[in-house]
Amino acid sequence: MFTLKEAQLQQSTPIPLAIVAALSVPMASIVRPALFRQGVLRPAFKPGIIQTGVRVAAFQTTTRKRVLPPLPLNDPVPVPEPSPSHGSYHWSFERLLAVGLVPLTIAPFAAGSLNPIMDSILCGTLLVHSHLGFQSMIIDYIPTKRLPTIRKLSGWALNAATLLVGVGLYEFETNDVGLTETVKRVWNA
Amino acid sequence: MAALRASAGRVLASVPRASRPTIMLARSMASMSEPTPSESPKMKTFQVYRWDPATPDAKPRMQNYTLDLNKTGPMILDALIRIKNEIDPTLTFRRSCREGICGSCAMNIDGQNNLACLCRIPAAGASDVKIYPLPHTFTVKDLVPDLTLFYQQYKSIKPYLQRDTPALDGKEYLQSKADRKKLDGLYECILCACCSTSCPSYWWNSEEYLGPAVLLQSYRWLIDSRDEKKAERKAALDNSMSLYRCHTILNCTRACPKGLNPGKAIAELKKMLSF
Repeated sequence: MFTLKEAQLQQSTPIPLAIVAALSVPMASIVRPALFRQGVLRPAFKPGIIQTGVRVAAFQTTTRKRVLPPLPLNDPVPVPEPSPSHGSYHWSFERLLAVGLVPLTIAPFAAGSLNPIMDSILCGTLLVHSHLGFQSMIIDYIPTKRLPTIRKLSGWALNAATLLVGVGLYEFETNDVGLTETVKRVWNA
Repeated sequence: MAALRASAGRVLASVPRASRPTIMLARSMASMSEPTPSESPKMKTFQVYRWDPATPDAKPRMQNYTLDLNKTGPMILDALIRIKNEIDPTLTFRRSCREGICGSCAMNIDGQNNLACLCRIPAAGASDVKIYPLPHTFTVKDLVPDLTLFYQQYKSIKPYLQRDTPALDGKEYLQSKADRKKLDGLYECILCACCSTSCPSYWWNSEEYLGPAVLLQSYRWLIDSRDEKKAERKAALDNSMSLYRCHTILNCTRACPKGLNPGKAIAELKKMLSF
């Protein structure tokens, strides 16, 4: 009961205080004995509280940012526009990459031959796979609603990092021994 | 879906058969009427989260209540009711059915979201019982969370039968036994919000991610053979946030006091949308 009124008062939609007061009158008459008893302990529950906007605002102790969407309280949350490229296609693509990485990682060692094309496919898949992984972390932990600027910045930072790693891998593949060969040399197990 | 854990079985499993009638009687009254005089008192301390909107400047605090378990019913809810009746009438919590079917008394007990009425008080001698409201919800008072957003999200998935074709016999929409069986493990959900509020993804992105409870309901309507708005229902989930913030850590399945498996329902949703 309390939050409903509080939230209604905080929303921009002007709810005439008279209505709130009128609504609270019959209710108050039902619970009056209880209010009487508690009134001694907690004067804030006295009926006059709803009419004074200042006191109601004081109930807000957590962050003042609006977390609930600005809606009447009984409306459903808005349903986002469907966008499969960020939804189901994206998910399938992620799974495909993850599953594809398994044979791509094993194949060069199992086959015993080092093919530059296979090597570059592995590098490309690995790059996109980790890009999508980091992107997922950014979406999870830096929500647009609360941290719009940092979200945008981290998105671009990730793009830059992926590009840098991509260029680095390209250089490594063309001018050096390549990824698979490196692993082979480093891994002395 | 996963077979239901029989809640009643869990509730009564560890009670010797002979003492059951007494316990049942006690549960209805929250405190036992006549403790046996020879029994030594089994004291247990309950640390309960307190916050009063009437004194908004005071920080939330933990308040200790010590009860004799010999005089208290077996469940956490019995202890809370007894505290409210006999020690501190200002303690506030929601409860209604006291048998795990209304979902009102969902709270965080010893770090695990659970229904207070289905959660046994741990044996005496062990450490204190810590009781908090559901995590990452706005608190209305003490153990009462604000579930407005949760219900708004539930409403957004249109949790009712949608169809255009009238029934063949003009009376009711018939369903085969096999189709009805698909709803087992889904229709039992009581929307207590234990699963959603145990999900870290829901903690971080509750404004956009629907959360396990609502997604389980979404799946329940998607596989209902009588529903005819499957494409619309799928399209409503097909975006970056509503469904795909689930990373399958299965806190939801672990938390569910009714033994349902929201994690599996979400996995089935993802499969439905992709293939």
